[in-house]
Amino acid sequence: MSWIVFALRNTLRNRRRSLVTVLIAALGTAGILLSSGFALFSYQGLAQSSARDTGHLTLADARYFEREEDTPLEYGIEDYTGVRERLLSDTDVRYVLPRVHFSGLLSNGDKSVIALGIGIDPQAEFKVRGPFLTVQAGEPLDGLDGASSPEVMLGDGLARSLDIAPGDAVTLLATTAEGALNALDVRVKGTFSTGIPDIDRRLVYTDVATAQELLAAGRVSTVGVYLRDFELTDAARERIAALLGEHYAVKTWYEQAVFYRAVRSLYNRIFGALGAIIVVIVLFVTANAMAMAIVERTRELGTLRALGTLPAQLVRMLAIEGAALGGAGALLGAGIALGVSLVLLFAGIEMPPAPGRSTGYPLQIAISPALYGIAILMITALSMLCSTVIAARTSRKPIVEALAYV
Amino acid sequence: MSASAAYVPVPATHPIRRSVCSLRAATKSYQLGTHVVHAVKSVDLDVMPGEMVALTGPSGSGKSTLLNLCGLIDTLDAGEYRFENQDVTALSERERALLRRASIGFVFQSFNLVPVMSVADNVDYPLMLAGLNASERRRETTAILARVGLESFATRRPDELSGGQRQRVAIARALVKRPRLVIADEPTANLDSHTAEQMLVLLRELAHAQSSACLIATHDQRLVARCDRVLEIRDGVLQ
Repeated sequence: MSWIVFALRNTLRNRRRSLVTVLIAALGTAGILLSSGFALFSYQGLAQSSARDTGHLTLADARYFEREEDTPLEYGIEDYTGVRERLLSDTDVRYVLPRVHFSGLLSNGDKSVIALGIGIDPQAEFKVRGPFLTVQAGEPLDGLDGASSPEVMLGDGLARSLDIAPGDAVTLLATTAEGALNALDVRVKGTFSTGIPDIDRRLVYTDVATAQELLAAGRVSTVGVYLRDFELTDAARERIAALLGEHYAVKTWYEQAVFYRAVRSLYNRIFGALGAIIVVIVLFVTANAMAMAIVERTRELGTLRALGTLPAQLVRMLAIEGAALGGAGALLGAGIALGVSLVLLFAGIEMPPAPGRSTGYPLQIAISPALYGIAILMITALSMLCSTVIAARTSRKPIVEALAYV
Repeated sequence: MSASAAYVPVPATHPIRRSVCSLRAATKSYQLGTHVVHAVKSVDLDVMPGEMVALTGPSGSGKSTLLNLCGLIDTLDAGEYRFENQDVTALSERERALLRRASIGFVFQSFNLVPVMSVADNVDYPLMLAGLNASERRRETTAILARVGLESFATRRPDELSGGQRQRVAIARALVKRPRLVIADEPTANLDSHTAEQMLVLLRELAHAQSSACLIATHDQRLVARCDRVLEIRDGVLQ
């Protein structure tokens, strides 16, 4: 018989207590994996969404990120075509999308509302970002020539505020790059929802040419750079910054993803605290089970020591027992978490909208092998550690006292 | 791990070899609340190889304490202890454990078998500690179980055995490693008279066959009658 077999047999002495310990460790592990899997799924979704919105990298004039513009496009990129060509020469860059940011008023003739506008390359934007807007009425921008007048898409809140519908004509007013006021009559092609009501009450999309005409400038505000792979972001940033020189600044999606960082920070705290509580509960239960098992076996441990077993050998055996209980619970918990995650993957359960949002999102749990590995190892190692601490104290008890223990 | 790292027995042929266990002016006291109990007072004791020594005396006279001292599971307050002519008085806890593992067997009143181990595993345990390989262990275990008549019970658990059978397992466990000294504390106290008689015969046979010395604390007069020498202890003093 080996020490491991001896330790495993010891875990079966009091089967009910061992079963309870294993079940609590399993539920704890499942709780940790499900909550962290949910957070991970949220992080992944938000990260992808943030990178899709801005591009993996955002390129602008170096001053654009540091100072407020006095006039629109004051720090715009003059030579967009040249910049685009240089960016596309990098093998990791798949798409380059221009954006012109502006603010102004949108008027239906009777009422004017503050609007935030983005001039985009509609065809490229939809091709790269997919259906990033939920069209509520009308059609999305296509950016094709042939329209009788420039076209815009409005957030549905903005359209409601002005009581306008697709096909209606509205006027865009903004300050030009020279500081003068300019107005442009545009036709509403459609309305959309981003899922965030506050944004839907202000946002206007139009094509780059219309935005530039409104601002009376040929520059673009920023350039969104889309890479072949999400993971290439940091390396590509270094290369592109070196390629374009100090006149330009390159920011990663992460640096611009304020919402993502806020959610991650919040979730880390919430789920971190939850995980810590679960771990403490699991450890208390395991420690309690081991303490009871050790106390019940005080006389036996004294006998083993009398036979020549070293305290370190006893501690090792009891540590294996703790690891076996914790490990069995962790594996069972991982199985439970995996099962629940798979059920949710196919069940299509929808979560209610988050605060500040108008649309829900699917309840799904990320299945990360690394996360499973860490959780199993952590619960096993901590169970082993707390058994070791308890065993170390007991193994030092004088043999005569241990043998006389009743 | 080997006992030889801490303790080197004197070869049997060596001229200085005499007693297995030799106590000189051995003294041991306990603190019991505010009261100090002088359990063993300046005891001199020698046990020779192959000798079976009975230690008798009323309860609380110091029998168990003397056994614990000889078995190296307790330490002297004063005096000297030589085991196979080597001074072991001041050995460390680890060194004493290694010496017990190599050279001392124990038979307890309540058998003290490990309930999750089979009979064979209980007997095998001291050999596992000694670091013998699997085939040697199997051979030795099978042989000693045959000697105590429990060969066919090898896979049973202790709770499937009678009291007498359990004590035979305990004797086999104590003697399987061929110890120089066997410490037995009231080994027949939990046995009926017939079984106790069988135990005595068995213990004596096996111990003599291996030239193991036996130091037995007992009230049992039949056991006393079968021992080579009887020592009486009263109030911590050998009479």
